[in-house]
Amino acid sequence: MRFMACAGMAAVGLTAHCAAAASADANLAVPATPFNAPYLPVSESDILQDVPSTADPAVLEMQRLRTAFDAAPRDLPAAEQLADVYIEYGRQVGDAHYAGYAEAVIAPWVQAAAPPAAALVTQASILQYRHQFSEARTMLKRALESDSRNAQAWLILATLDMVQGDYQAADRDCAQVANNAGVETGLACFGSLRSYTGKAHQGLALLAQADTAVRRGSAGYRAWIEGLIAESAERLGDWPAAEAHYLNALKLQPQDNFLLVAYADFLLDRGRPREVLPLLADHTQSDTAFLRLALAQSLLHSDQIQRYTWIMAARFEALRLRGSEYFGREESRFALQLQHNPQAALDMALRNWQLQRAPWDARVVLEAALAAKQPHGAAPVLEFLQKTRLEDPIIDSLARELHAQLGASVGAMQ
Amino acid sequence: MTRCARRAGLFGLLVAALNCLAVPENAAAHSASDAYLTLTADRSEASSLSVIHGQWDIALRDLDFVLKLDDDGDGRLTWGEVHRHQAAIERYAYQHLALDGGPGNACSIKPRRQLIDGHADGAYAALFFDAICARATRKLTLHYTLFFAIDPSHRGILVMRNGAAASTALLSPQNAAIDLLR
Repeated sequence: MRFMACAGMAAVGLTAHCAAAASADANLAVPATPFNAPYLPVSESDILQDVPSTADPAVLEMQRLRTAFDAAPRDLPAAEQLADVYIEYGRQVGDAHYAGYAEAVIAPWVQAAAPPAAALVTQASILQYRHQFSEARTMLKRALESDSRNAQAWLILATLDMVQGDYQAADRDCAQVANNAGVETGLACFGSLRSYTGKAHQGLALLAQADTAVRRGSAGYRAWIEGLIAESAERLGDWPAAEAHYLNALKLQPQDNFLLVAYADFLLDRGRPREVLPLLADHTQSDTAFLRLALAQSLLHSDQIQRYTWIMAARFEALRLRGSEYFGREESRFALQLQHNPQAALDMALRNWQLQRAPWDARVVLEAALAAKQPHGAAPVLEFLQKTRLEDPIIDSLARELHAQLGASVGAMQ
Repeated sequence: MTRCARRAGLFGLLVAALNCLAVPENAAAHSASDAYLTLTADRSEASSLSVIHGQWDIALRDLDFVLKLDDDGDGRLTWGEVHRHQAAIERYAYQHLALDGGPGNACSIKPRRQLIDGHADGAYAALFFDAICARATRKLTLHYTLFFAIDPSHRGILVMRNGAAASTALLSPQNAAIDLLR
């Protein structure tokens, strides 16, 4: 590739720089002030960066598996095992680096002339995590061509179809999951699906059965089911049940980035931003967690809000510089609530809607369209909601307001 | 923390995947690995040499992954620990960067100093260097392979300055060699 002369982009790589020579508090990821020059730390004992500690058994386990893999780099089971722990750890702590490490580990098999299905499924899981959905689908298609009963492949496909709003396809995938992965996994799949299609009561009943069936399952599995139940309860506006299940899930997996962020959103919606601060205090390296902290600071009218806003902006800028586009939902919320730019929020929400159609993706479009006073902008989402009959008290009320505005504007025209 | 993948058999594998099912509701938007490489052509050189000044910011967490900088394993990387490993950091980094000015015009990289630079996602080692080529040419080729072997999602974000002009490029495993035009 050749450089294109573009003087206007001078120092674009530097705009994301915002160091802290000295932190206002002990939190390394929340520097006190923008700082634009490299520096020499003052003391040998200055703490510069949090890194995974070998006091964490999960980190030790990763290192052990890495050593085993390095000793046998052609051993697919060793590679799969290492890739799986990387992916799982990365999900837990909300750190995309580990998906990259996993990708490197399985790359020789994925790039082989006839890749084993397991490697393709692992690669699909990495791509899905990065929201490269169409590339993930291609991998899954290839995996299922060689192993049509690959339960993991069907699970990931069900997930993709749910998150992209193709509920008919997801129903077919869940049937395959039930056939190939066992009944309780099938129940969880169908239960989750029902909560998107106006049958959240039924979904909850299925999830409760799955919950009972896996009482002796791993903490991770039970936390996942508890999280799904919490979300389904939110669909139905049953806030006490939702909270109880979020807390159950977090008791099982206290460090899980997904659960922490979902519970933080719940607290923000319930007008309890103060509780978000201690909940996420140790998770500032995760961008999704950081956004919720910034939103909480904003709702609290904190004097920290400018600091959180520029750090968040710099992180989005860093993502943009590397060509990542998978943060539309978060970026739309940031533009609307922290940068107070409804038009930018609507543009980003609509672009995100092309890729993802989960309830939060619908909600960011509706909120931005209302704030931007552009009810017509929300048309594709309103149509989707009428078709799928998604239940959600917050989304319902936004949609009603938009319909009222649309009705009023039609009335005015007549 | 549960390590589901450790569980034996099909169900163990399924459980690992089931955790994946929980994720898509919530975006995966967390920083992956980036490094920032800023090159500035030295236009003041009177000699016939071609000199480029470089600043290369590499995340300490990435360097820790490959070089194990956290000597006491407490999860907190101090300046003392980084300082002690500066030679190893330099050695590792410069193995993954090269410039050449075509046949008979190899360029050498002379490390100058190391500082710390802060970015929104954490602290970076800032490596300053000069790239010196035997002859000034219109075209130099940059070869960049940092971390690609262990993390193909790593990206080098390159800014090249030449007088008032600046240009940018994204370095990736698919785009690891770039022509710099003067």
